[in-house]
Amino acid sequence: MFAGGADAMTTAAVRTSDPERSKWVGVGLLVPVLLFFLVLNVIPTFWLIGLGFYKYTLGRGDPTFIGIDNFTAIIDSPEMWGAFSRTIIYTVVVVGFEVVLGVALGFLFWGSAKMPGRRLALTLLFTPMVMAPVAVGIFWKLIYEPTFGIINAVIEAFGGSPIDFLTNIDYAFGAVVFVDVWMWTPFMIMMTLAALGSVPPAELEAAEVDRLSFWYRARHVILPHAKFILMLGILLRTIDAFKTTDLVWTMTGGGPGNKTEFIGVALYRQAFNSLDLGGSSAVAVVLLIIAIAFTSIYLYVLNWSKRR
Amino acid sequence: MAMATAQKRKAKNTIYYIVLWAVALLFFLPVLWIALTALKSNVDILATPPKLIFQPTLDHIKRVLEDPETLPYFFNSVWLSVGSVIVAVGVSFPAAYAFSRWKFPFTDFLMFLLLSTRMIPAAAAIIPMFQMFNAFGLRGRFGMFILYTSFSIPFSVWILKGFIDGVSERFDETAIVSGAGRMHVMFKVILPQVKPGIIAAFIFNLIFVWNEYLFNFVIGNAQTQNIPFGLSVGLLDAGGNVDWGFVAAMSSMYVIVPMVMIFFFQKYLLVGMTFGTVRGDV
Repeated sequence: MFAGGADAMTTAAVRTSDPERSKWVGVGLLVPVLLFFLVLNVIPTFWLIGLGFYKYTLGRGDPTFIGIDNFTAIIDSPEMWGAFSRTIIYTVVVVGFEVVLGVALGFLFWGSAKMPGRRLALTLLFTPMVMAPVAVGIFWKLIYEPTFGIINAVIEAFGGSPIDFLTNIDYAFGAVVFVDVWMWTPFMIMMTLAALGSVPPAELEAAEVDRLSFWYRARHVILPHAKFILMLGILLRTIDAFKTTDLVWTMTGGGPGNKTEFIGVALYRQAFNSLDLGGSSAVAVVLLIIAIAFTSIYLYVLNWSKRR
Repeated sequence: MAMATAQKRKAKNTIYYIVLWAVALLFFLPVLWIALTALKSNVDILATPPKLIFQPTLDHIKRVLEDPETLPYFFNSVWLSVGSVIVAVGVSFPAAYAFSRWKFPFTDFLMFLLLSTRMIPAAAAIIPMFQMFNAFGLRGRFGMFILYTSFSIPFSVWILKGFIDGVSERFDETAIVSGAGRMHVMFKVILPQVKPGIIAAFIFNLIFVWNEYLFNFVIGNAQTQNIPFGLSVGLLDAGGNVDWGFVAAMSSMYVIVPMVMIFFFQKYLLVGMTFGTVRGDV
């Protein structure tokens, strides 16, 4: 690809051992990635920020500059407040369930090193999280189906009447939460296993010899080591749950009403159904800032864990 | 006496392993249910109550394989994911090497920016992309290809930098002192030592691109539409009458690929699912 030119430069740099020349070799190696980054990340980001200051609806004339009106419109919009608060509630609920279940099951799987067929069992366990969210949505649509879905068959077998979970105003949110918890609890199990693996065996053996209680061991022996990876897991799940779009889009399309219209779906609708590209860009800028804040927290925890 | 305790321990272990298997199967049950649905005849799919025992049929799978609209989806899924990830890993390896060895003052900031591109909701990133791709006429094979390449770069750079950081710089110095060029050092000295990183970057980017839907749906066109696109369309049309057998067969066949990958590359699962930031065994 570019090896030829850089190679010649490298040889020259080594021969002359000129640090200035050598630095440019390093920069040269970065060029392809930086080019991709500039064209497909940096320019679109500035485009997005710029567009946030324009009134622009696709197919309705040219963009007109309106200053910060799009941003103040977000603050005045009950729909956006609704979408944001629903997303936050959703994130807190699913991450809460996933952490509690995932940590509990992670402890359960802690001694499984010699389990027969472990690799296959873990593959089955971890399958939900590597599935396409669109496929997951379709799977669960079929499972929740009101006339021939398996869940309603079970409900009817126990004498209940069938519920159309995904279009029922009382159940839709819970039904989506359930699927998210099913899909991502395995991720927290995996992170818990990794976190437990980071505890030095010598300290665990010492605790064993001292016959410390499980809770004491968890609090004073395991947690001081395991907390970093656990926190990274919780942060990644939080970021990801906040982004949830494909899954709800396939399962409920944001409905019924707006019960499951999370910010990703609301934004998508504003941009591609209402074609309000100016207003939606402003919302996207807010999400961008949130993403950057999350990334900073994530890297802070990561560096903190590495410094020890 | 000693034998009794050994037996007791064995029995305890057996119960423990049965419980673990039960948990794993419980999580897999929904997937299994769809796979079973794919093997049912249409009459059995719509039966109430749902049938657990039925005469299996390969009709739906055959229909998927012979469907003239599905084949291109499948083909697009394969070449888009494999091709873009090869290019992404190819450009990310030299970059990761440079980030690791030259320690530019802007390294941390760039790594931070790279990671943050993966934290932004797709719906937000897609708005300017949609406009740019429209404006420059990029909504086709080439456009989606470079889009997925750039989609796979941040994670590849992160994971590879982590692995290269773990290789002592003495290897570089020794090779350079004995007259080797940087290219030789990179590809002949460092690359063989970070193969696990290359594999992990390849496998997990492949899975992510394989599963990607929104960009393909909004920006792609007939030449790039992949299986997730096909699934979403197949689900919505036909006037509300969903062809469940077909959809179940298509989606079960589709998820076999990531499943096989995590079966064979399980030790990279952790580093893969944490964007290369956490390393260790599961």
